[in-house]
Amino acid sequence: MSLLEALRLAAATLWANRLRTFLTILGNVVAVSSVVAVVAVINGLNSYVSEQILSTGTHVFSISKFGFVTDYDTWLKMMRRKDLTLDDADALSRQMQYASAVVPVVSRSETLRRGRDEASGASLVGLGDGYPDLRTLDLETGRHLTRQDMLGRAQVAVIGVEVRDKLFGSIDPIGQDLRVGRDRFLVVGVLKKRGSVLGQSQDNIVLIPVTTYVKIYGKRNPIELNIRSTGPETLEAAQEEASMILKLRRGLKPWDEPDFSVETSQMLYSFYQNITKGVYGLTIGIVAVSLLVGGIVIMNIMFVSVTERTREIGIRRALGARRRDVVLQFLSESVALAALGGIFGVIVGMAGAIVLRATTPLPASIQLWSVVVGLLLASSVGLFFGIYPAFRASQLVPVEALRRET
Amino acid sequence: MASNQILIELKGIERTYRVGEEEVHALAGIDLRIQRNEFLAVMGPSGSGKSTLMNLIGCLDTPTRGSYLLNGIAVEGLDDDELARIRNLEIGFVFQTFNLLPRADTLRNVELPLVYAGLPRAERKRRGLHALDLVGLTGCGHRKPNELSGGQRQRVAIARALVTNPSLILADEPTGNLDSKTGEEILSVFEQIHEAGNTILLVTHDEGIARHARRIVRILDGVIASDTLRGAGGTPPPVRLEG
Repeated sequence: MSLLEALRLAAATLWANRLRTFLTILGNVVAVSSVVAVVAVINGLNSYVSEQILSTGTHVFSISKFGFVTDYDTWLKMMRRKDLTLDDADALSRQMQYASAVVPVVSRSETLRRGRDEASGASLVGLGDGYPDLRTLDLETGRHLTRQDMLGRAQVAVIGVEVRDKLFGSIDPIGQDLRVGRDRFLVVGVLKKRGSVLGQSQDNIVLIPVTTYVKIYGKRNPIELNIRSTGPETLEAAQEEASMILKLRRGLKPWDEPDFSVETSQMLYSFYQNITKGVYGLTIGIVAVSLLVGGIVIMNIMFVSVTERTREIGIRRALGARRRDVVLQFLSESVALAALGGIFGVIVGMAGAIVLRATTPLPASIQLWSVVVGLLLASSVGLFFGIYPAFRASQLVPVEALRRET
Repeated sequence: MASNQILIELKGIERTYRVGEEEVHALAGIDLRIQRNEFLAVMGPSGSGKSTLMNLIGCLDTPTRGSYLLNGIAVEGLDDDELARIRNLEIGFVFQTFNLLPRADTLRNVELPLVYAGLPRAERKRRGLHALDLVGLTGCGHRKPNELSGGQRQRVAIARALVTNPSLILADEPTGNLDSKTGEEILSVFEQIHEAGNTILLVTHDEGIARHARRIVRILDGVIASDTLRGAGGTPPPVRLEG
């Protein structure tokens, strides 16, 4: 019997027992759909995170009061640290040899108004001079904030497209005013559309000079300093240098622990990668267990199938089927069964990923390799757990098999 | 040509089964020659060993002692795969309970031995349809066994036995599950295929059915009790070895 013949027979048999087939493959469906969905979500997160975290540019690091806090106790400890100030930024800017730009950044959520129109939940971002070099913030029209704006604490703003759409409609916003609380800002530029990330619009944003921000909201704001080194090779030296200068400004000894955090986007990224590794590890566990359970179910059903069809095996043997033909028949059946579970798993996993993407901020991008791995895993489970039942079927004695009632 | 006329030659065939501590001699020394184009009935009460003999001749079982030549092939030394090949190519089985595959349609059932012979699909279909024509079931290829009457099912089984063009048709109580009228019809089908040149070995306990055969071999307690030739038909006389 040829392989094609065996597969055709397997398909017919599985179709004849549709309900049993469906129930048998559930384990494999769970396993493969988890692979496909988890990989899709993590991959979506990856592309988002790498774009987001690493978009701050190469050889950029940041200094902040809190740093990257992952638990409440640390956060409480960080609370007692001194705030970073614009003076710190100035000092670093003046004293550092390895920095090509020092940009203070501070932000809060505000409601923007113009006449009766408003844009709520907008990020109001105070930025220092030189920010366009550090972040990918391209203009659609108008100009960026300048050094003059910073020095003069000008009431000027660069807005995102969503703010423009909400407040100005089809009017050209350049030269128009918008209000934040009691303060008026003159719009001088509009950013290109940046889309949304994790459900958060990146276009509901207003950039103003950091000096203006501090003038309005006071100094006790969590200012963060973004610093770019003169090149990739000086990144570490620049971190060391900035750290040293800040320690001295705060009266610490060079060997003291810093009371501020110095981080590169790369560090954040590797932290994130550790999390994904954990998730992958967990997924591998779930998949292994479901495949094992799925495989045992398949093996049991194949034993049932062999017992039920003892007479059929006898007939086939009498008509000239060799042992290996019987093995091939039952093995193709178990592999087809398992692979079918894999195919359903891929469909369920893809559907799950698509639903997740549509209903939650989690991005998901389905990966071909996860589909291939899922299908291969599922099929090999069918092969492995099908061997013993198929072998047992082939060892039936034809004369006795023919005498069996079923 | 004379030796070529002999299809089956059994010499000193013994078959013993072990039941617990006891040895049961199902066959205790059978010598039998069957020539080509014979129509032979093997008779005997249940427990006489006729089923064991049929299984041995059908290569479903191997003898404990003795030699078996089928179409010039020494069967007793063959392994499992080779026996399967002999069953596939040399023997066509017809069973009392038809033994059709219930889920497969008529044509698929008839084609089944050809699947194991490794024939391509188109050729299988051509031969299968031809075999159905031979048993008078033209146009029934797409019916399932449960849509057929008992007589039709046995015709399908005969078509399946004929489809590989085997050297021996082995029928085990082929009318046992049929009423007498349908049984007669099936026996006339056997007569037709015998006249077409096939060798037929019929196992039965029914005298009326055995009468259709030209030669009757009676088995009792694992040995041949008698071997008689009916009428003066065209078949050459059987050769008895020893007395």
